[in-house]
Amino acid sequence: MTLTWTDWQAVAVPLVLAIGAVAVLLIDGFWRSASAQLRHTVVTLLTSAVILFGLVFVWAQRDDFKPAFCRPVVEGPAECSLVFEPLTAGLWAVLLIGGLGVVGLSAYRLLSSDIPVGEYHFLLLSALVGATVLAGARDLATVVIGLEVVSLPSFAMVGLRRDRRASEGALKAFLVSVLSTAVMLFGISYLYGVTGSLYLTTIANRLSGLDPDLRRVAFAAGLFVIVGFGFKIAAVPFHGWLPDTYVGAPIEVTAFLAVVSKTAGVAGLLVLVTTGVAPSGSELRTVVAILAAVTMTVGNLAALRQQEAVRLLAWSSIGQVGFLLAPLAVGDAQAVVGYLAAYVVVTVGAFGAVAVVQRHRPGGLLSDYRGMVRSEPGLAAALVFFLVVLAGLPPGLAGLFTKFAAFQAVVDAHLGWLAIVMAINVMIGLAVYLRWVAELFRLPADDPFSVDIESPAVAMISLCAATAAVLSILPSTLFSLAI
Amino acid sequence: MSAILLGILALPILAALALWTLPASIGDRLAALYGSVISGLVLIGSLLLWPRDEGWFAYVPTQDQMLGQNMRPLQAVTDVPWIPALGVRFHVAVDSISMPLIVLTALLTFLCCLYSLKITPRIGRTRSLIALLLVIEAGVIGTFSAMDLVLFFVCFEIVLIPMWLVIDIWGDHHDPVGRKRAANTFVLMTVLGSALMLLGFLLVYRQAGTFDLVRLTNSPVLGGHGVPLAAAILIAVGLAVKVPLWPLHIWLPDAHAKAPTVGSVILAGVLLKLGTYGLIRILVPVLPDATATIAPYLAGFATVAIIAGSLACLAQTDVKRLIAYSSVGHMGFIVLGISTLSQAGLHGALFANIAHGIITGLLFFLAGAIKDRHDTSDLRALGRALYARLPRIGALLTFACLASLGLPGLAGFWGEMLVLLGAYDPADSLPRNTYLALMVIAGLGTVLTAAYFLRLVRKLCQGDPAEYPAAAFAVDLSRIELITWAPLITLTVLLGVWPGLLLHQWGTL
Repeated sequence: MTLTWTDWQAVAVPLVLAIGAVAVLLIDGFWRSASAQLRHTVVTLLTSAVILFGLVFVWAQRDDFKPAFCRPVVEGPAECSLVFEPLTAGLWAVLLIGGLGVVGLSAYRLLSSDIPVGEYHFLLLSALVGATVLAGARDLATVVIGLEVVSLPSFAMVGLRRDRRASEGALKAFLVSVLSTAVMLFGISYLYGVTGSLYLTTIANRLSGLDPDLRRVAFAAGLFVIVGFGFKIAAVPFHGWLPDTYVGAPIEVTAFLAVVSKTAGVAGLLVLVTTGVAPSGSELRTVVAILAAVTMTVGNLAALRQQEAVRLLAWSSIGQVGFLLAPLAVGDAQAVVGYLAAYVVVTVGAFGAVAVVQRHRPGGLLSDYRGMVRSEPGLAAALVFFLVVLAGLPPGLAGLFTKFAAFQAVVDAHLGWLAIVMAINVMIGLAVYLRWVAELFRLPADDPFSVDIESPAVAMISLCAATAAVLSILPSTLFSLAI
Repeated sequence: MSAILLGILALPILAALALWTLPASIGDRLAALYGSVISGLVLIGSLLLWPRDEGWFAYVPTQDQMLGQNMRPLQAVTDVPWIPALGVRFHVAVDSISMPLIVLTALLTFLCCLYSLKITPRIGRTRSLIALLLVIEAGVIGTFSAMDLVLFFVCFEIVLIPMWLVIDIWGDHHDPVGRKRAANTFVLMTVLGSALMLLGFLLVYRQAGTFDLVRLTNSPVLGGHGVPLAAAILIAVGLAVKVPLWPLHIWLPDAHAKAPTVGSVILAGVLLKLGTYGLIRILVPVLPDATATIAPYLAGFATVAIIAGSLACLAQTDVKRLIAYSSVGHMGFIVLGISTLSQAGLHGALFANIAHGIITGLLFFLAGAIKDRHDTSDLRALGRALYARLPRIGALLTFACLASLGLPGLAGFWGEMLVLLGAYDPADSLPRNTYLALMVIAGLGTVLTAAYFLRLVRKLCQGDPAEYPAAAFAVDLSRIELITWAPLITLTVLLGVWPGLLLHQWGTL
């Protein structure tokens, strides 16, 4: 019988999120007498409160080290399944901010009325539970469980609207998810077979002492695990499901997929890479670097040809993942978390702006945005700012400096070829976003978009823009998230 | 002093933001007036930065005093940490290299705003045009005063999107597809160049552990092979896109030809200088050995640029494209001067930088005036005999052409003469015979320059007035044009007869 111990503070955030998930489901289920507006508002407030608790907790404890589910080993440090450390704090902060943003985008009158409110928020919080567990996981079983807890609610959310496109998107996401889990489990079983442990630190220690034949097996096993994550974060060539799923899902869910789901996948991969499954100098890092180069190039090139706003965001998010994988391939957690933070804030904002336009113009074409600087100046200015941050040019200094940090990580790791590919992709990415910006500025427009924007949407978009502006003036906050 | 520098950096940005918060319905005149006041204040501020007592803050005048030595007093220093995690500081200051360029920027922006009081692109939207010009001004002044490589990079990038908008929105209204393509080519090539430049900066950081230009200048990254060489090539390529150096100049003719008049003036007069300034400020002092390695190649490309630019000019039928191509040739001279790494060459480059900004600014104003009056800039459609139809504008065009081709006594002469002098006697580490050959070819380039400008004058200004009657609405030089161009004309003459005004401040010759 092994002795285990747990610092319960390490699991406080996932626990509270889980309790909140059950609570919103119960409120929505048993409080039918209240009006839809009241119920929706209460659910939104409760969900936000739970997430805010998580954020406050993370901020208060950001410098601490709290292990959970640990057991002693004969020599060396104890093996733990879940660890709260500064890196976890940074990742959790990004995940929770993204979750909060999605909750804000799903406020009353914004979320389409045929989506059940209780289930929606229940699924959202459940996915956040999985995401936070994944970011703190330090053994492979926990990684898989965390990943599944993120994924299952995700495609349930895609299918919530029950029309044909949503079902198709949900089914695609589901099949890909099952496949990726299978591939990953296959890899994990080999890793376990080779090293005799599921704990990441122990695996890392034992990997270095393997004889060459087993090392080859371990490489293949690691490859399978990375491929599994590749499906989750839609790295090329495992990206085929993403555009249809993004377009099929309700736009708030698309925002959720682009923000929380994607961040969770990147966080899981980051944990694996930094804790030593792919130590520096290993071929697995080269694989991730190649994946990064291919992903950003294909994503950006495909985004160049899109005519619909959501499809453009979908493909360009593939390009952004490529940029995220680049510092990840060299194990620079600081650059990855900073990049994620900037990406999450502006992606929430961009989807918020797109949601406003799509509610009134369901076609979702880029040409619907023509002339918006004149007809809808506030929204247009915010959207331009978000796109410029995504492109990484001034005035979007948050995007510029996170790209800069990615470049710095790659150059410091002597990956010159990857840096050149990234430089070319900065250009292609700019071309992608400038097409949209050009539409916004084009005058005169025949039928410019102009509506009364719902006040929660105004609040959310302004909040995102303000946050992005602060991050642009003080980019150091981005890089203090994970030290 | 540092408050003034921060002021002229912040004022245009804040003023632009304030202008955008005003309703779009405010009149064009009012917007232009506002822009003139703001940019006038910036001009006054930049002149105040110019110290009155001792003229300039000079280099220590010893013979072996190269650019990049320790004795380089900085003024108006602000140095605070910005992003400690990345080693980035907000470090701005000015010295005798950046000061004239800052004044030039402020002057040209002011003149462009003044010009917009009466003459604006047909599409209107002057409010946004003025705001974008102010943002560009701030970005350019920031680049000229940045003492941190990353800050330099950021300011270098600030101007991109505003300039893209200026070309894309206010460009040639006859050719929406063409102006869009021109704008996109401009912004994409430049952003690729600056991304490569950033890689070079990061390599420098990996070697030296700092982005700070003062520290890098005092203890440069030595070695002419390996990583320093890679860094130098990346930085040189990135800046060469901006200069633009042949064969990376392909964005330039379209961008200049399609841009509105004020856009062309700013683009040619100011933005091109960012590239040559970067070469002088960063490449030469920070990577001295690696620069010496690549300098002959730079000089070769620069000479090709001189010849190719001049030959292309001979074949142009569009006034604005011709002037744009002439910039390729002139910028080639500047890069040739820098790549000699000699004092004369560098001084020539610095001087030609300013002279080109003034003269080409004037040329683009004149080309814009001719285009506005005839609704075309095609030489064949314009016809000849401009002397008879628009005598004053024709005379000014001839004057600007003569200045640009390097007539002694006007500003264009001294820079190119010093560059050729520098190529005659390049730095000791460089192959002298190569430079002598390049000097001869570049000398031929000056002849070609004279040829195409005289061809322009002959084709456009001279001719029988009876064959080309004046268009009914074409009025000669208006008052606003006279006012905006007078400073440029004055400076062209002043710097031509008194080059020492700038030259003696950069050290002994």
